[in-house]
Formats: sequence, structure tokens, C-alpha cells
Amino acid sequence: MSDGRARLPDEAGRLIAPDGVGIAYEVFGSGEPTIVLLPSAPIIHSRQWKGQVPYLSRRHRVVTFDGRGNGASDRPTEPEAFSDDCYVSDVATVMDGTGTDRAVLVGLCTDGVWRAIRYAVQQPDRVLGIVAFAVGVPRLTPSHPHYVASGATFDDELPAYEGWNKYNGHYWRQSYPDFARFFFDEITSEPHSTKLIEDAVEWAVSGSVESMLAEAQVTFPFDREAVEAICRDVRCPMLLVHGTEDTCQPIARARRLAEITGAPLVEVEGADHMIPGRHPVLANLLIRDFVATLALEVS
Amino acid sequence: MVAVRTRPDRAVVRPEGSGPPSAAAGRRAQPEQTRARNPDETGVIERDGVHVAWERYGDGSPTILLLPTWSIIHSRHWKAQIPYLARHHRVVTFDGRGNGRSDRPTTVAAYDDTEFAADAIAVLDATGTDRAIIAGLSMGAGYALQTAVRYPDRVSGAIFVGPSVGLGDPIPRAGVVPFHEVPPTFDGWSRYSAAGWRHDWGAFAEFFFSQVFNEPHSTKQIEDAVDWALDTDPETIITAENAAYLARLEADGSAEKATLGYARRVRCPSLVIHGDADAITHVSAGRRLAEALGARLVILAGSGHDPLGREPVKVNLLMHEFIEGISRSPG
Repeated sequence: MSDGRARLPDEAGRLIAPDGVGIAYEVFGSGEPTIVLLPSAPIIHSRQWKGQVPYLSRRHRVVTFDGRGNGASDRPTEPEAFSDDCYVSDVATVMDGTGTDRAVLVGLCTDGVWRAIRYAVQQPDRVLGIVAFAVGVPRLTPSHPHYVASGATFDDELPAYEGWNKYNGHYWRQSYPDFARFFFDEITSEPHSTKLIEDAVEWAVSGSVESMLAEAQVTFPFDREAVEAICRDVRCPMLLVHGTEDTCQPIARARRLAEITGAPLVEVEGADHMIPGRHPVLANLLIRDFVATLALEVS
Repeated sequence: MVAVRTRPDRAVVRPEGSGPPSAAAGRRAQPEQTRARNPDETGVIERDGVHVAWERYGDGSPTILLLPTWSIIHSRHWKAQIPYLARHHRVVTFDGRGNGRSDRPTTVAAYDDTEFAADAIAVLDATGTDRAIIAGLSMGAGYALQTAVRYPDRVSGAIFVGPSVGLGDPIPRAGVVPFHEVPPTFDGWSRYSAAGWRHDWGAFAEFFFSQVFNEPHSTKQIEDAVDWALDTDPETIITAENAAYLARLEADGSAEKATLGYARRVRCPSLVIHGDADAITHVSAGRRLAEALGARLVILAGSGHDPLGREPVKVNLLMHEFIEGISRSPG
């Protein structure tokens, strides 16, 4: 479904990742530094940044891409295609393919934040800074209990799928739209979020259930010590932004990451998970101000 | 590049609307929310012992006077217009008698439309405003008509949004009862009655504004309007319900005749904005009013009764364009 956009891309294209998966990207505006908005895929695609692109691209070159498994990118169905390394490699593919030598990376949740951190550690000269919304760094602290419980029975056929039991492979095959509605209702719990939920559900159901299932089979490859070591290796400035009511990523993760990296943390009181979508003005101004401080440091 | 890390610190930011959802029924008005733009000057006028509170924003030119509407809500119903318009123009608002920071007189005649028009002029006087472009939503369109007709020298343009001025095709409504009759149950449109208001003012407001804001994703607008309704009380609005308003002045009660008579006497340029999904006042009202005024008519596709709240960007640009057009025209 094509919705009217406030800002159309100036350039759009398709890149091929080393494993042959096609990755669709878009570029908006011009102006240094480039800001790359990482996807939260495969559950949603690059339109998750619709509240940021028109504003940021007035002053900056903004690059977005659809993560593998959704949007205009390919939708692989084998778990290997969703390894942690593949996600990080897609950031490299897009940086290289769009001629982006250096950029500020902005991400939401694990797919955005953790992969930005890993890429920054691999390519320290190419990442000017990271803005991390809903700081999704796995293993840093325990997950929310509802994920622990539903994760334990993800592959089981259950007699009924109520509440977080909908986070289940069998249920996804049978009623993925209902899962998507449940999921985004849960993690977008603030009042007056109906439009954001409607959008997110639409992006989810336009993606691939098979890709979601494949991704769910991947085991996260690092233990807590390794995760912390990687985080400590980040050399660029970071800004952490986390809602005090985040239902997806515990705020303890953001606090822990702030503690071990010294990065400033903005705690948004009363906010749930989808801060860029639910509080676009706040998110945009935080990104703007963060990027402005980088420019000062460069000069 | 030198990576400089700032000290760990935490800023606490409270976004608007982050509080828990609350049921309208039986709830109280919340403390006023923070504003995107605060007034540069506030004041109170007094006419016949009734105090009416006004606010001024910005110093630009010309002045635009944002009129009150039905006193079920107050001047914050312009909250999405004020910050934008005040960047370019001088904006004056006032709370209609019966709500907000204005008095709640207890006599019917105090709520006549002529009193609202006279308040408008008193506010122009108090703010040192010779002439203004006036704008009104719904019943505020009737107050705008009265003001433009009675005080033509003070009004240089008029904007009518979702005009509820006795024109337009009827909209079928289940359960409607005569205002002073007690309905068998309080549900839907039967709440639109003195008994329904007294029974549960908050529940009426919740229902009514769900009809005003019938577009999807209007939860915030509904919550705001219900809050403003809870700033007044059913007895005040019941009193105001019997006041003179356009057609009620006519001996034969012909709404259409009265309104069209007023509209034909308006001499200033005018603009009519109406949503074609308006569930309170049929869009044909906007068409007929625009025709009688010889006004520019803008129909907003898919919009309900209050595009000020639900389509602020579109409305603001239309208002700004209209105001600019008047400012540029000679004389």
C-alpha cells in the first residue's frame, strides 16, 4: 500500500549483500554529516523512520534501508541469512554502496542499536556517532519476563495463544496479523498511539512471516561478558534514549550501557518502546542536537 | 576526529500525553497542560458584571481574533492554530462566557449571541485593536456572523469553520429526544438532553466529542475536548442552551431565513472551511453559507466537525493564506 509521503527520496536503489541478498536503500537530501537510519527488521521496514526523514533531511543527507526480510529488500527464509554478522554486514553494504565514507548511525532496539555498535567497533573511522533509541543490547541485563516465558515455548504448539503466548512460531504461521496487532499494542502502550500502531501493523503484515520464523531460529552468538567487551570498544560518542515504560527493552539495559560506556542517557518518562514514532519532535531534536555537538568536535 | 565523551547524566523528559488513560465518566478536569506558546498579554473585560478573559499572542499584523464556540469548550480549542498564526500575526483569543477563565452567568440572556459579539468588540477595545479578522468554529461561526454584521467597521475578514448556523441537510440521529424531555435510557444521542447532561456530563462529553472527532486517530483531540468540557458544568450549558442564537431571533423560527439574512449583510471578505465527513453539521451548511456570503469555500475530504484540532496544518495554511490576501489588498 503506497501512502503519501511528506518527503520523497532523491535517490533509491538496490544493493547486493555478500551472501546474495538484495538490500533496498533510499537517500534523502544533502549536507554533512550523513545520517544512516538502521531498520528494525524483519518485523518492520524503513518507513519506521517516517517521522525523522523529512526533518533530518532538511539539513543532512539521510540514508535509510529496508532490512532483509521486509520492505523492498529480499526475504530470505534460511536462519543463516539472519545471523548477527549478516545484519552488521548489511550496514557495511549500505555504507559502501551509497558512497558513505562516514556517518552518524541511528537505531531502535536490537536490530538498530546493537548492529550500530558492532559496526562502529568494526569500522571506528566510519562512524561519527550513534544515537540509540530503546537501547536493545542483548544479554546486558535480563530480558523482560514475558519474553523469557514466551521464548521458552516459541517452538511449542500451545493449547491456546493468549497474551504473550502469541509470540510463538505456530501462532505466527496461523495468525500473524493478530500477533502483529498484539505486539505493537503491547510495546506502544502510551495513549494516543493508534496511528503508530496501525502503521507498524501494516509494515509487519507486508513483511515475510517465513523471514520472521527464520530469524527466530538464530541464537545470539555472544555472552554477557563478550557483549560488554564489544560495548566498551566503541570509540565514537553515543546518545542513549530510553522510555521508562519500555515493554520491549528493559531500561536497565540503557542504564547499564550508560554505565559501561559513559554515554549520556535521556530517560523519557512515561514513554514506551517506539520513541521515534511516538515522540518524533523529541527524537528529532535529540538527533539534531547530538549531530550538532559532533560537528563542533570535528571543527 | 576526537571522540569526546560527555559525563554520564540523565535528563528526564516528560512528553505530553504520557499520563495514564482515564475514563471520561465521572472524571475531573485535569490541570492545564503545558502550552507550545504562552500568551504575551492577558486580561479580563467586564460587561454587565460578567467577566470575560482574553489572551494576546504575538505582535504581528493584522490581528486575528479567534472567537469562542459553544461554551462546552473554551479558547484552548484554538491550541493548534495559536503557535503558528502568532509567528506571523497578532492573535487574540477569549474564553466564551460559561467556560475557561470567564464567568459562568446564570441568566439565559447573558448567553445570547449578541453578548458574545459584544464581548468580541470589548476584547478588541481592551487590546487596542481597531480592526481584526475574525474566525469561528461551529457555533463560533454564528458569533462571527453576528460580529461581522453588527460591527462591520471592526471586522476586516471572517473565517467560518464547520459552521453550525442553522443551515444544511439534517443528519439522522438515533435516540434523539426534545432537549427538556427525559429519555428512556442514557445512550448515544439521547445523552444530548438536559437530563442526560445532569445524569453524566463527562459521559455526554465523551460521546459528543467522539462524534465531533469521528476520524480515526483522534484520541488526543477527544481527550482534550472532554477535559475542556469538564471545566464547565451541565447547569451552565443548560442555561446557555436557551439563549438567542441566529434563528431563534426570528419570530417564525426559520433558521435558514435568519442565517442567510445575516450572511447577505456581511461586507468583508470571508472564507468557509467544512469537512465533508462532518457528523455534527452537514457539509451542505458550509456550501450554503459560502454561497450566501460569496465566500471562498474549502471542503476538506474526510474531515469531521473540528478540523482545527484534527487537521491543523491544512487549516493553518488556509487561514494564513486568507489573512495574507486581506493584508495585501488595498484599503
